[in-house]
Amino acid sequence: MPDPHILLKDEPGKRVLLLGNEAIARGMLESDIGVVTTYPGTPASEIGDTISAIAQEAGVYMEYSVNEIVAVEVAGGAAACGVRALAAMKHVGLNVASDALMTLAYTGVRGGLVIVAADDPECYSSQNEQDSRLYTLLSNLPCLEPSNPQEAKEMVAYAVEISEKLELPVILRTTTRVSHTRAPVTFGKLSKSRLKGEFVRDVKRFVMVPAHARPRHDVLLERMEKAKEITENSPYNTIKPKGKDKEYGIISSSSAYNYAVEAAELLGLDIDFLNLGMTHPLPEKLIGKFLKEHSKAIVVEELEPYLELHVKAIAKDCAPSTEVYGKQYFPRSGELSTRLVLKGLAAITGRKLPINFEDLDRRYSEVSERLPPRPPILCAGCPHRASFYVIKRAAGEKAIYPTDIGCYALGIAPPLKVGDILVCMGAGIGTAQGISKVTGADTIAIIGDSTFFHAGIQRLLNAVYNKHKIVVAVLDNLTTAMTGHQPHPGTGMTGMQASTEPIAIEKVAEGCGVKLVRVVNPFNVREAEKAIKEALQFPETSLIVFRAPCALLLVREKRRKGLEIVPFKINEKCTNCMACIKLLGCPAIILKEDKTVAINEDICVGCGLCANICAYNAIVPQKQARRQWQNERI
Amino acid sequence: MREFNIVLAGVGGQGILLAAEVLGTAAVKDGLNVRVGEIHGMAQRGGAVICTVRIGGNVLSPLVLDGQADMLLGFEPVETLRNVKYASEKTLIIIGDEKIPPPELTLKGKGYPKMEEILEKLRQFSKKIVIVEALRLAKEAGSPVMQNAVLLGALAAVGKMPIKKESLVEALEELVPEKYAKMNVKAFELGYKYAENVKEA
Repeated sequence: MPDPHILLKDEPGKRVLLLGNEAIARGMLESDIGVVTTYPGTPASEIGDTISAIAQEAGVYMEYSVNEIVAVEVAGGAAACGVRALAAMKHVGLNVASDALMTLAYTGVRGGLVIVAADDPECYSSQNEQDSRLYTLLSNLPCLEPSNPQEAKEMVAYAVEISEKLELPVILRTTTRVSHTRAPVTFGKLSKSRLKGEFVRDVKRFVMVPAHARPRHDVLLERMEKAKEITENSPYNTIKPKGKDKEYGIISSSSAYNYAVEAAELLGLDIDFLNLGMTHPLPEKLIGKFLKEHSKAIVVEELEPYLELHVKAIAKDCAPSTEVYGKQYFPRSGELSTRLVLKGLAAITGRKLPINFEDLDRRYSEVSERLPPRPPILCAGCPHRASFYVIKRAAGEKAIYPTDIGCYALGIAPPLKVGDILVCMGAGIGTAQGISKVTGADTIAIIGDSTFFHAGIQRLLNAVYNKHKIVVAVLDNLTTAMTGHQPHPGTGMTGMQASTEPIAIEKVAEGCGVKLVRVVNPFNVREAEKAIKEALQFPETSLIVFRAPCALLLVREKRRKGLEIVPFKINEKCTNCMACIKLLGCPAIILKEDKTVAINEDICVGCGLCANICAYNAIVPQKQARRQWQNERI
Repeated sequence: MREFNIVLAGVGGQGILLAAEVLGTAAVKDGLNVRVGEIHGMAQRGGAVICTVRIGGNVLSPLVLDGQADMLLGFEPVETLRNVKYASEKTLIIIGDEKIPPPELTLKGKGYPKMEEILEKLRQFSKKIVIVEALRLAKEAGSPVMQNAVLLGALAAVGKMPIKKESLVEALEELVPEKYAKMNVKAFELGYKYAENVKEA
């Protein structure tokens, strides 16, 4: 990763390769934003991480909020005081934040407020692939959609400008292919961020009791009327008239625009494009003009037919004879690609595909037919593997395991196979209560430390108060691991990289009224197993914290300190019983060509779990380590 | 300039994202337009990972179209084969030889596929294949984690890329932690020399 300090260089015109998310961070520094909040989530994480690394020097306040609604509220509070603010989250984070957002649309803001929502078409690292643009209709807030990192940077400043003009929050919607594409980005001028605000009391505007809320809804509608002028003249809503052929015209936005341009070129289609960067409200007049000029309009967009619905409505009024093509030619699920757009465009225009995909697919399926899949798995040395092993050992196959969002969702893979229902952040503890109530089965809700702070506490309160007999297993690896090791309230570190008092999960649980709370080290198999059995016998809600640091962090820390990592090896006592392989599924334990078990010393980090469970004492450290892995702390 | 497409494929943890970023950064140093496509998050944890690098004036999307890779840089043999649909007869395939068995094989008690079988299948797409002893060379340079630098060196030697070798070395030095910069450059040079002298497989 480039040193984020490069973003602090006030060198307008400098051209740097940046990830879309890093470009958004630079955009903040060019638009006077003083407060940045986030809860990490792919594909949005690097927005906050980049700012966090330079917040002190940049004079920006940055925090990893406990969850997305808090992030929006903190940013919204600052913006109510005239300070420019930005809250970044993944698409499903917007669901969590939506309650605040819907009504912030009524109160509006004084300083610019930008809400970044990063969508994940194809669910690369998400539980769904919802299209955040529909939130702009629900909230009636303006929406911008960049199609590349350069635009992503510029649109932060543009969002702030619109936000202050309309006194409304603005949604900046990206996708994986914008947030996680690296491209050259040209720097603009750095601004000096302002952190000091003033709260000017205005009860009728900011206190949304019914009597105040009713007129504020009308204010929102008036403001969005003004937004229509902005969108008609927006530099990001442009007709790119390069085509000679006026029969077809393509309307597109975001990453889909890139595929559409490349696909049209490959098909030799010399046609006009209407690229939409401001997609709420849509420029109805501009779209109408485009529809009048073309007899066939093709809407190319990822996920839902958001543009298409509007374009069809506009066509009915402005250009009833223009045919509109959309989702019947391009998939509504999954990520688009140049190939998918090529296929759709070829079908609509009757052009011949320039590449024989069918032949390619046939040949590829022949060679890849028996290729073993390689899904993501828990890392070698991951403490979750130890937790799952011991949980399964104590509670068995019959127990039900609601699980949650985080690395530990990978526990569903064989041989561990822990995880029976996964919905959203915190839902493991929630669904466990209904499951336990109606089945009477042993129910163990799996949740990570960061997720516990994000969404677990209220669910835990519900369980305790309503006397749900569930065991909550908090897999505490002392970090937000999946998204890149961000801090959370249990870590003792803030987004400003300052230390603070960590909050202990076990104390939170006790405070919530949980009467049986245990803290165990998952690598201490016997102790952990005892705690689980005790909890399963307990008639009410119980909670066990399985605490051991993320292996990636521990290894990194050891390397930094120059400490030795001692891998394990198999000795002559091995009977090749395969228990280590069949019970743990650790990527460091492999089969040699002669089908005997071996440890890949390049992957093994020496956690010792396999040695712990080997009945023959056949797995030993390559040499005597000074300290046992399981007793180490970061 | 015609577009130049590189597909990097391997297993999460092999340093594929970093290698792609080095390529992209070097391209910017050389004043070129570039797009690097990455996948982060859950997909990275020991799973199959793919990154794409596209260089050229008109390039907009980071994704490489099937059959259109100029280079397929495989960090692992099975993963190279998994992504061979990006290759055609003009594609140069470079393979790092570290075999990481997919967990399913180990669980079922099956061994890693035979290298000759993998090569045979790859040859159905392209006969231009170079195998690099990336693990051995990375260890020689100081650490097995530097296979990415070895493979970048090999790519620079035989890839006929529009990027200068010096720009790649500079980008590599900038992007790795300072104290590992020298070792990475050594790994790069080892990969470069190896690929210059090795025959196609």
